[in-house]
Amino acid sequence: MKSNTGSKVRLGIFVTLGLGLFVAGVFYIGQKQRLFTSTFALKFLCGNVSGLQAGNNVRFSGINIGTVRSVRIVTDSTVQVEIIVDKATKKFIKKDAQASIGSEGLMGDKVVNINPGNPNQPEINADDFILCEGGNSIDEIMGQIKVVATNTAQITGDLAGIMDNIHQGRGTVGKLLMDTVFANNLDQTVVNVKKGAGGFKENMDAVQHSFLLKGYFNKKKKEQERSQKKAEENSKK
Amino acid sequence: MKKDATVLEENGEEAKKQASKFSIAYLSERLDDFFGQVDTFTRFTLRFFKEAFMPPYEVNEFLKQCYLVGNKSLPLVGLTALIMGLVFTMQSRPTLTKFGAQSWLPAMVAIAMIREISPVITALICAGKVGSGIGAELASMRVTEQIDAMEVSGNRPFKYLVVTRVMAITLMVPLLAIFSDSISLLGSFIGVNLQGDTTAKLFLSHIFEKLDFIDVFPAIIKTFFFGFAIGIISCYKGYNSNSGTEGVGRAANTSVVQASLTIFIIDMLAVQVANFFT
Repeated sequence: MKSNTGSKVRLGIFVTLGLGLFVAGVFYIGQKQRLFTSTFALKFLCGNVSGLQAGNNVRFSGINIGTVRSVRIVTDSTVQVEIIVDKATKKFIKKDAQASIGSEGLMGDKVVNINPGNPNQPEINADDFILCEGGNSIDEIMGQIKVVATNTAQITGDLAGIMDNIHQGRGTVGKLLMDTVFANNLDQTVVNVKKGAGGFKENMDAVQHSFLLKGYFNKKKKEQERSQKKAEENSKK
Repeated sequence: MKKDATVLEENGEEAKKQASKFSIAYLSERLDDFFGQVDTFTRFTLRFFKEAFMPPYEVNEFLKQCYLVGNKSLPLVGLTALIMGLVFTMQSRPTLTKFGAQSWLPAMVAIAMIREISPVITALICAGKVGSGIGAELASMRVTEQIDAMEVSGNRPFKYLVVTRVMAITLMVPLLAIFSDSISLLGSFIGVNLQGDTTAKLFLSHIFEKLDFIDVFPAIIKTFFFGFAIGIISCYKGYNSNSGTEGVGRAANTSVVQASLTIFIIDMLAVQVANFFT
C-alpha cells in the first residue's frame, strides 16, 4: 500500500515535470514569436523581397523587435510585407521610417531592418505603411562580384601580354632581361665605370700630395685626431 | 553404407521442403495466414477502442502501468538522450566550423533532436524495453492459462491487461520524448562547452531564436502514435500467443521487431504530413 502510494507520487512528479518542460518550451517559443507581448502591425510594399518569409526577424538598430507576419503578392510587380513589432519600440519609429531587407550573413535568413526616420516627424500608428528602401540583395552582391571578376580577368590578360612582351625581349624591361647584346653592352659599361673609378682615385691621391692642397688635407687630419682624443678622454672619465 | 542412405534420404526431404516453399499452395497458405493476421489485428484494435471508452475503468492498473513505463524507462531514455546530444554536437562542430557557422550549433542540434532524433530514439527504446516486456508478460499469462482463468472468473482480462497497458504507453512515450528533448539539449550544452565557452542563457537564446511551433508540435504528436503502435502490437503479440513456452520468446521478439518497424513507417508518414502544413 505504502509502495503503491510512493509510486503514484513518483508518477505525479514525473508527469508534472514533463508537462512543465513542455509548457516552458511552448512559452519560450511563443515569447520569441511575440505571442505574449503587446505588439502592433506595420506594412510596406516592395518590388523584390529576396526570399523573405513569414517568421523572419525584424530589427531596429540591430535588435530583434518583431517578426514578419505575412508576405503576399498584391500586383504583378509589388509584394506586401506585414510585420508585427513590439509596442515598446513604437515611440522610436517615425512616420518617415524606412524598411529594408537584409541578410544574416551570406548563408543566413533574411531580416527586415527598420530605419527609424527623422526624429522631428510624428510617431507612427498601427497598420501604417512605411517606405521600402532598396537594400543590397544577394543578387546585387553577386552582380558586383561579377564585375570584380571581369576586371580581374582583364588585368590578368594584360599581365599575360606584358609577360609575353618581356619574354620576347620587347620594351626596356624585356631588353634588360632577355636581350644578350644589351646585357653584354651593360657588362662592358660596368667594366668601363670600374676603370674610370680607378683612374679617378689615382687623380685624387695625386691632388692630396700636391703642395697647393697639402695644407688643407693636413688641417683636416689634425682636426680628426683632436676629436678622436677628446672622445677617448670622455670615455676614460 | 546404411548411414549414407540415411543422409541421402534427409537431403531429399530438405530439397522437397525447399521446393514446396516456392509452390503455389505454399504461397497461398502464407497469404491466407497474412490476411488472417491482419483481420485478427484489426479486430483486436477495434476491441481496444470499444473497451477503452466503456466503463468500468481500471484506474489503479493504468497508473501502475504508467509508473512502470514512464518512471522506470526514464533513466535509460535520459542517459541515451544525454549521450546523443553530446555526441551529435561534437560530431557536427567540425563541419560547421569549416563554414564559420559555429554559432548555429545549438539551434541545429536542437532542431534535429526535437524534430526527429529524440522522438524516434525514445520510441525505439520503449519498443525494446517496454514492448518486449509486455509481449513476454502477456504471452506467459496466456501460456499458463491465467488469461483464461480471468475470463472464466469474469475479470475482463482485455480491459485489465490490454487497455491499461496500451493507454499507459500511448501517454507516457510523449512525456518521455519531452524529457529526452530536454536532456539531449543539456548534453548539447555540455558538448558546446567542451571546446568553447557559451553561457546557458546564450545557448538557450540561440535555440529558441530558431525553434518554431512547427518543430515541436508534429514531433510530440507523432510520439502518441509511436506509443500506441508499441502498445497495441506488443499486447496483440502477447495476448494471442500460443505454442507453449516457445511462444513467449517469439511474442517478445516479434513485438520488438514489428513495433520498431512500425515506428519508422509512422515517422515517414509523419514527415510527409508535417511537410504538408509547412
